[in-house]
Amino acid sequence: MTAAASGERTGGAPRYGTAADRQFKYLIIAPAVFILLFIGLFPLIYSLVVSLQNITMLDEDTSFHGLIHYEQLFRDARLWEAIWHTVIITAIALPLELLLGLAMAYLFVERLPGRPIFVALLVLPTMIAPVVAGATWRLLFDNRYGPINQVLGWIAGEPVPILWVIKSEFVYPAILIAEVWQWTPFMFLLLWAALSNVDKSQMEAAEIDGASFTRVFHKIVLPAIWPVMAIALLIRGLDLFRIFDVVWALTKGGPGTMTETISIYTYVQGFRQFETSYTAAIAFLVIVLLSVVVIFALKRMELTR
Amino acid sequence: MTLERFTLAASVAAALSLGAGAALAESAADRAVEAAKQFAGEEITIVWEAGLQSLDPLNYSGPKWEELTGIKVKVIEVPTAEMFTKILQEHRAGTGAYDALNVVPTWMADLARAGALEPLDPYVDKYGYREELQTIAPTYRDNQMTVDGKIYGFPDDGDLFILYYRKDIFEDPENQAEFKAKFGYDLAPPATWEQYAEIGDFITSKFAPDVYGAGQFRQPAYGQLLFQERFRVEGGKFFDPETMKATINNEIGVKVFDGMKSDNKFMPPGVETWGFVEALSSFLAGEIAMTISWPPFGRWAAGYGVDEEALSWVPKSTIAGKVGYALPPGGTPQLALGFSLAVSSSSKNKEAAYLFIQWLNSEDTSIARVQLPYALRDPFREAHFTNEVYLSRWPDAKHYLETLRAGADSGLLDLSLLQIDRYEEALRQSMTRLWAGEDSQTILNDVAAQWDAITERIGVEKQREAYLDWASKPNAYPKN
Repeated sequence: MTAAASGERTGGAPRYGTAADRQFKYLIIAPAVFILLFIGLFPLIYSLVVSLQNITMLDEDTSFHGLIHYEQLFRDARLWEAIWHTVIITAIALPLELLLGLAMAYLFVERLPGRPIFVALLVLPTMIAPVVAGATWRLLFDNRYGPINQVLGWIAGEPVPILWVIKSEFVYPAILIAEVWQWTPFMFLLLWAALSNVDKSQMEAAEIDGASFTRVFHKIVLPAIWPVMAIALLIRGLDLFRIFDVVWALTKGGPGTMTETISIYTYVQGFRQFETSYTAAIAFLVIVLLSVVVIFALKRMELTR
Repeated sequence: MTLERFTLAASVAAALSLGAGAALAESAADRAVEAAKQFAGEEITIVWEAGLQSLDPLNYSGPKWEELTGIKVKVIEVPTAEMFTKILQEHRAGTGAYDALNVVPTWMADLARAGALEPLDPYVDKYGYREELQTIAPTYRDNQMTVDGKIYGFPDDGDLFILYYRKDIFEDPENQAEFKAKFGYDLAPPATWEQYAEIGDFITSKFAPDVYGAGQFRQPAYGQLLFQERFRVEGGKFFDPETMKATINNEIGVKVFDGMKSDNKFMPPGVETWGFVEALSSFLAGEIAMTISWPPFGRWAAGYGVDEEALSWVPKSTIAGKVGYALPPGGTPQLALGFSLAVSSSSKNKEAAYLFIQWLNSEDTSIARVQLPYALRDPFREAHFTNEVYLSRWPDAKHYLETLRAGADSGLLDLSLLQIDRYEEALRQSMTRLWAGEDSQTILNDVAAQWDAITERIGVEKQREAYLDWASKPNAYPKN
């Protein structure tokens, strides 16, 4: 039996080698996969565990709470308002940034005198830390010393005492102005690069054939730049959903909670109210919501093909 | 031989008694310095409010402590709004990154119960500091030092809101006559909020836009403190002590909110955005006739210390010699914030940290610290209010210190409950809604609902106990 088995083994040596070869590649990449999974999944799993406990920084109690925090999420009106505020900002700022970025890209795709200098100046806002941009805009909007009210006053011919970051009718415009100012150049850069690669000869041929600007844009330019535009929209959309710094610097989420975004609400719960477990539950909700949105968007944009 | 032995023993006993006597005669500051020399060469860290406050340990007390003891002091500057979070986070992480702490007294209960603060009683007894603690002004000593009967911090900053007014406008005979003819009483620092509004309106009507009747903090963090004061002055109570239901949305709360909003009409345009700097610069520039603020306003308005480089950002006072000091309407100023010195329970050098705060807080050291023009520490010991040097700092310093002393007696404690920041956050948000123009009753109903939800979450009985403990203190509500 032993001999037979041994003979079999001897006879099967090449087959054993093939199997080992097949397994070996997995063995080689296993550590890397494990490290990636550990880095990527451990915080998620740990957060999930925390969200099922009752951890607050003010208490030693870390008992298991089950799904209570998840149930609480659905009763938390302030959370859903914060999500709604975030959606409003995203829904207005994203198209604005896209349109303005595209317009600027069109302007600069032609060789203009001094183009490098203008482009360098235009992209400056994206290099500024968002919180600094927010603080700068707060100064610009200052009703006493800020230049915006002064300029408006010169135009109106009388003092314009708009309280940009106090009065409810002005807070959203203030946030959107600051946000669009800072991130339109990002959109511009990507679209500029994409536009530069559009086949000029096709456009010229279409124009010679009498196609309108809209038709050329729709039939030639848009299909050519769409992959880049879609990625730009995705990046900015996700960024906007996480918007924090500019809003914090301008209004801190006020008046009341009128401009509180999901990131601000999460910060308040986690680092002002010390509700560690509930914050973890919010984080999970956001992950789920964003995953759904991203999967849907990728499908719609046909980027996954 | 026996006689020799007796003589020797007697001499030794006498020498020891003299030594002990000398030791007892030492001040608390000296004792701290002597004991701290054993830690020479080490470094301690202390959390201090960022900005002017921290110039005290950076420029004065830190270097002096190092010179006296050989212990280095590393100052960790943290903005006030983040101090509580940072202290708690470091404690939970157990890093031992902080040795000594500055804590706002209303946070002490939460921090102590979370185990972040070291009980100080054993150190106080070991280094003979108990007696000197008694010379801290009673309001601060009795309310800002202990949690559940244990000492967790040394009150170190006599914060309170004082009314500053323009004497030249108030004492002008023409203004006085006009005012009396219109309102039937003398133009003087307002004793009630109604008088405050009438005086403010009178001055604005007569002098604006050159001078407005008043200018006031309106940023939420400060505004909510002014609300707390005015609400209690008008007779409001924060909670029903039986049920712990919030009563902040009663008619008194609405009256106060309406009053605060209506006061903005005689204040400079855009006052809704005002914080410390805006109110200070306007008052020093002579643009407002009244303001209610912390003690540094009074010193700087008189021109004290503003030549210091650290204060170069403070506008030059145009009203030095024209500033009067009074208690705010109602006579019971808010003891707004303040700081106590504490030791972190996760410190790896608690003894040295304790000795540093004893030395800082001691009568000898603090007398100099409260006179540092740039450091924002305000008088908090009996001796500070009567110090001859301080009394001679500027012509009206005596009146200033008398007003601070009176305020320290009658001052109202900031509301202190378990997880107080949650309650304050609701109030802070309500201030922003008020300035945005929402209806007072609606806002306060929301605040009351939020407060009730927070109380429910913490536990009604637990919170009720904390509230009753706070409310039983003599300075929780006005005495009359």
